[in-house]
Amino acid sequence: MSAPVLVLNQNSKRESGRKVQLGNVAAAKTIADVIRTCLGPRSMLKMLMDPMGGIVMTNDGNAILREITVQHPAAKSMIEISRTQDEEVGDGTTSVIILAGEMMTAAEQFLEQKMHPTVIIAAYRKALDDMQEILAELSVSIDPTEKSEMRKIVKSAIGTKFINKWADLACDMAIKSVSTVVLDNQSTGRREIDIKRYAKVEKVPGGILEDSEVLDGVMVNKDVTHPAMRRKIENPRILLLDCSLEYQKGESQTDMELSNETDFEKILQMEEEYIKRVTSEIISHKPDLVFTEKGISDLAQYFLSKANITAIRRLRKSDNNRIARACGGTVCSRPEEIREEDIGTGAGLFEVRKFGEEYFTFITKCKDPKACTILLRGASKDILMEVERNLQDAMQVTRNVMINPQLLPGGGAVEMAVAQIMKEKSKSMTGVEQWPYRAVADALEIIPRTLIQNCGASTIRTITALRAKHAADGNQTWGVNGETGQIADMKDLDVWEPVAVKLQTYKTAMETAMLLLRIDDIVSGTKKAEGGEGTGSAAPTGQ
Amino acid sequence: MNIETQAPLIVGGERTSGKNVRTQNVLAASSIANIVKSSLGPVGLDKMLVDDVGDVTVTNDGATILKLLDVEHPAAKVLCELADLQDQEVGDGTTSVVLIAAELLKNADQLAQSKIHPTSIISGYRLACKEAVRYMNENLTIPAADLGRDVVINCVKTSMSSKIIGVDSELFSGMVVDAANAVKFVDAKGVARYPIKSVNILKAHGKSAKESILVNGYAINCTVASQAMPMKIVGAKIACLDFNLQKTKMKMGVHILVNNPENLEDMRKRELDITKERIEKIMATGANVILTTGGIDDLNLKYFVEAGAMGVRRVLKRDLKRVAKATGATLCSTLANLEGEESFDASMLGHAEEVVQERICDDELIFIKGPKVRSAASIILRGPNDIACDEMERSLHDALCVVKRVLESKSVVPGGGTVEAALSIFLENYATSVASREQLAIAEFAHSLLVIPKTLAMNAAQDSTELVAKLRAFHNEAQNNPKNRHLKWSGLNLVTGVIRDNKSAGVLEPSMIKSKSIKLATEAAITILRIDDLIKLYPEKKEGGPSYQEALQSGQLDM
Repeated sequence: MSAPVLVLNQNSKRESGRKVQLGNVAAAKTIADVIRTCLGPRSMLKMLMDPMGGIVMTNDGNAILREITVQHPAAKSMIEISRTQDEEVGDGTTSVIILAGEMMTAAEQFLEQKMHPTVIIAAYRKALDDMQEILAELSVSIDPTEKSEMRKIVKSAIGTKFINKWADLACDMAIKSVSTVVLDNQSTGRREIDIKRYAKVEKVPGGILEDSEVLDGVMVNKDVTHPAMRRKIENPRILLLDCSLEYQKGESQTDMELSNETDFEKILQMEEEYIKRVTSEIISHKPDLVFTEKGISDLAQYFLSKANITAIRRLRKSDNNRIARACGGTVCSRPEEIREEDIGTGAGLFEVRKFGEEYFTFITKCKDPKACTILLRGASKDILMEVERNLQDAMQVTRNVMINPQLLPGGGAVEMAVAQIMKEKSKSMTGVEQWPYRAVADALEIIPRTLIQNCGASTIRTITALRAKHAADGNQTWGVNGETGQIADMKDLDVWEPVAVKLQTYKTAMETAMLLLRIDDIVSGTKKAEGGEGTGSAAPTGQ
Repeated sequence: MNIETQAPLIVGGERTSGKNVRTQNVLAASSIANIVKSSLGPVGLDKMLVDDVGDVTVTNDGATILKLLDVEHPAAKVLCELADLQDQEVGDGTTSVVLIAAELLKNADQLAQSKIHPTSIISGYRLACKEAVRYMNENLTIPAADLGRDVVINCVKTSMSSKIIGVDSELFSGMVVDAANAVKFVDAKGVARYPIKSVNILKAHGKSAKESILVNGYAINCTVASQAMPMKIVGAKIACLDFNLQKTKMKMGVHILVNNPENLEDMRKRELDITKERIEKIMATGANVILTTGGIDDLNLKYFVEAGAMGVRRVLKRDLKRVAKATGATLCSTLANLEGEESFDASMLGHAEEVVQERICDDELIFIKGPKVRSAASIILRGPNDIACDEMERSLHDALCVVKRVLESKSVVPGGGTVEAALSIFLENYATSVASREQLAIAEFAHSLLVIPKTLAMNAAQDSTELVAKLRAFHNEAQNNPKNRHLKWSGLNLVTGVIRDNKSAGVLEPSMIKSKSIKLATEAAITILRIDDLIKLYPEKKEGGPSYQEALQSGQLDM
């Protein structure tokens, strides 16, 4: 008599209650397990193959997770936090996932004991606030202008990466490139360090890693347009253009009606004259070098080479901007409006070099370069990709320290110290909240524990020893030596991490855990594109 | 009796009628209510919704949940629309409105089972609704005019308590109230208005929720067109343009016929010069920040750079309008004037204390701080990932709506089930005074309202039966014993599971949201109750070639 009442579309699946909560925990754990082995100096790389057959070799958490396709929605949001971490501070992408996974695991026992998620979340929130305070207390400030101090930090960031073997070189490169692009903005009174735009990493396969260097200038993958042009100029006057040196039709649609053949000749002549006029404008400013973002016609090349000017065409906009910052010029858009100030004279040497089969243009020995190119050499494209990722991380770390010169001991020492203080605090707490709070403290130990695991030492013994160390006063800098698996004073090992990275790791991990714990219902297959069957025409909310 | 199974008169459709259809509708309504039930109240939890593509939404907002669900049943759709309507009308209380409506239907169905005609139930509900709103306005509201900022903040906190930002409500409530006050203006009639839509909410992942900031000014998600432009301008004069600063180009289809080749060259030159002249005209007025909805050609950037001005292209028109309003600029859609020439007047410029480009996360934003004419507000939300930021935005929107309602209607009611419990007692007493068959319906209405305190208690894992009984006892005392009138503010404390005075505890809601949700829920219930026949037509087979939609679908299948 009574047929089943169909409320939702039959395609959608719905899960709710405890099952969802535990499912979310499991998903978070799984994601954390994927990259657990990528933490610490004894970490291993992962090789990923994408559907197109390309390979990625990396131990960067973000780079790995980016390639993985997951089904579970909670896992998706886990993956996203790695990206957040990468974009915000650039390092710690692996730790954030491991920590978030562990925070979810820590909550699992309470969910099983039927504790209300809001209680757990309130405790987590409190824990996060306390963590931030403790981190601020534990941190040590340093002087970012001190090269040797900076090197130590960058070195510990690099320590876990593939380029560890070339740590000294990489440190120097990271510090040099970042300090090149520092711009103290008088008007805003803030330090601007724009690595993304002005410190470009160029990878040239071939050679060995030791050949890599930070140029005091810019390099572009281009050759001169005309073989007769000079390939080496000292103290060049550089003119940067973003218009083409070709005859172009106007934007409007124009038709021409010619009544006699002389007119046709006239047109051709005009085109020539146009080129001639434009080039003579340029020549009158006596540059040695002309860069343009657009094309240069054969005729223009001829005029320029006759005037002993070297021209390079089809530059990328970003490259042009970098050259402008390196040599102090302005990018001009109309040849007739060039002024003397627009010409860049800051560069010391222009040179075209050949690596393998390709020509590269170097503008180096700049007086006060505010932009630079990092030239990476190496055996293969895949290795170079990984080196670039590592170097980016190192540069980000350098940047963070320069902006906020506060450090924390690495190697799991901070986590142990924070956990210790929080455990003390939890003793004085009343109510149910103290248990999740304490669980957070315990969960922090996952970082030293994973470090120990990854180098194959005895986890329980070492963690216990470390805990005992931290129980005594004044040992807050003791952590795990990721190479040997022994406990060690991080002051002696010189393993330091910037506060900004640590803070962001904790914040992101905890807040994600809070978000995921609040969920008690998952409905999948909700609408977006209207399904095949169903009512179709009258969607409940038309938007 | 067997009409519903197969009616020969109706071609190509299904027909259900009579009692069956009502029961089905009620069933559908309660299943919708069940879905959103667990998200009510300060201890409610969130839902995770995954769509066909795999995009994830995490939300606590009833309207958002129902909007994203693929609901098929027509009666259930009415409820989804109801939530949406509540969202548009008042912005908050979307979950409770669905719960009440479903409960009303459930109880009405029981009455109908005992052979009371739906029209009697309907008139009873109407009467009850009217009386309930009247009673609430007379006895339960607290005028907020003299209660100041604290009350507003408390209202916001109540609204936020169920949301993801509940743990940080201290920070966000202040932020929301400040933002609403910043966009306040007094309209022609002298009434203060709070156009909350002009509070610009931007999301950037990174940092933590606590580091969300309120900016006095307007933030635009754009960057300056050229890196050589200044990143900060103090004492900005802002020109808001709604046209391209690209090479002038004839509109489509216009051909230019040239006979003399030399003219061609002139035309090319002219194309460049027209834009150049335009820029020069704008620059001549002293403008140093140029915002345009269109593009700016690279070759024109140099003029800005040389003049030390900021040029921003591809600003959304919506944003630009607000910027213009706040800074006192006129949105200029063309430079042409009545004389047929082009001009740009200095009075069209807007003013702000400073315009600055700042880096947030991996992105850059342009802030227009301290606009001269009207204050503006932008909130920048930070969070662990985009999903969280989206949910924070929805919560903030609800909170802003609450502020608007409180400040505009100037009255609040205590939350936490107080109003519902009080109304249910009142209506029960009232029902006994009605000597007609509506009495039963009114009593059921009274009973239905209790669903709110019941659900609240249930979500908090408290003994709902006992708590609600206690609560009712308090309100009964308050209404019958003039000495204990103060007990009328009693409501639930869900964390500890006791009854407390919710007025002094600061659990407050705007009265408008309450009255609207009762009214809307009643209307929706009545709409569904009136139905006694459901005809569902099979999709019509179209003759003569497939429609566009079908072609699209079959095309998709081919892929």
